[in-house]
Amino acid sequence: MAAMNCNIALVWMHDYLDDELPHDDVLQLKTHLLACPACRERFEQLERTEALTHKLMDARIVAGADQSLQLKKRIMSGLPLKRRKAGWTRWIRKHPAVTVAAVFTLVMFSSFLAMWQQDTDLTVRGTDLAQLVIEGDTVTVPEGALVKGDLTIENGKANVLGDVDGNVTVIEGSLYQASTAHISGKVKTIDQALDWFWYKVTHSISSLAY
Amino acid sequence: MKSVEARLAQLALKGDQRAFSEIVDMYQDKLYHMAYRMLYNRQEAEDVVQDTFLRVYNNLERYDDTMKFSTWIYRIATNLCIDRLRKRKPVYSLDAESNDHEGLDGYAMIPSDDRTPESELLLSDTQRIIHQAIDTLPAKYKSVMVLRYLQELSLQEIGEVLDMPVTTVKTRVHRGREFLRKKLEHKL
Repeated sequence: MAAMNCNIALVWMHDYLDDELPHDDVLQLKTHLLACPACRERFEQLERTEALTHKLMDARIVAGADQSLQLKKRIMSGLPLKRRKAGWTRWIRKHPAVTVAAVFTLVMFSSFLAMWQQDTDLTVRGTDLAQLVIEGDTVTVPEGALVKGDLTIENGKANVLGDVDGNVTVIEGSLYQASTAHISGKVKTIDQALDWFWYKVTHSISSLAY
Repeated sequence: MKSVEARLAQLALKGDQRAFSEIVDMYQDKLYHMAYRMLYNRQEAEDVVQDTFLRVYNNLERYDDTMKFSTWIYRIATNLCIDRLRKRKPVYSLDAESNDHEGLDGYAMIPSDDRTPESELLLSDTQRIIHQAIDTLPAKYKSVMVLRYLQELSLQEIGEVLDMPVTTVKTRVHRGREFLRKKLEHKL
């Protein structure tokens, strides 16, 4: 066996004192200590330090029964009278992700709700608006006219007498469709906040897609 | 199965003061002893113990019962002790290791203020020498050494209490031990 390096021996001494040196290494360390007086002395010093420290730390001379009782009184009387009510704050702490999601949804929903209520102006959207007749809040597709493309009317009455070659969507309003009218696409009336919300979401997503 | 402490904590959380007083009984002396060994001052040790229980009480709902209760409470108490030790010392670049004293940093160079209470005067010379040696240990080594020798925690447990890797704990135990050895070398 090669002679052990003293620096390694020192690390092993500490490991030994920490009860962390494998058995085989203990034997090797002992062999080194027998051969090396300097390390042997170092080890003895460490062992003595270890023992004395342990002994001193363990000496329970500090807290008398009386002092201990006094301290306990002080601790118990120093507690706040009423515990802060834990309830929902505790739940929030335990479920941060859910809480963040809930707050987000709430904020989003209320802002959509606010937008939905605020928006009272008549809005007409479509690709072919030239033939439309707008009177007050009524948007009329005159008889015999052909509107090409989709038509969206917000906050107003739609009066379809002619033909629409596309979808007709009425938001927060009413739709009158004459028997002579012809709408090639879908007809949708939206007057619920949730429908409106859904319409806005799908619309902004599809407008992103194109 | 839940530990006794975890169940008491749950009762205390519901407002049962008696349950909390049981917890105080279980840990008060241990914490006092530990705080005293770190601070060497009765008043400060008592303050730390009281502070620890106050924090425990106010944060009962945060106690995560997958962690040992003792680990949690020791963590709170050690942190309070370390805070106090740090506040005592003037701020130098303490973590810089000095060249002529291998393994020891600036903390060791600051003479300790003598906070030994009268009762400690009854100690033998040997004990007083060790006492002084421990008192001059830098804060970061002291907490490790106190947990190691007083609470007899394993390196792993000390790591959990102090929230640091075991390798760091190991290094600090070794350095702390060498520090004490050096202090005691010519005196014993």
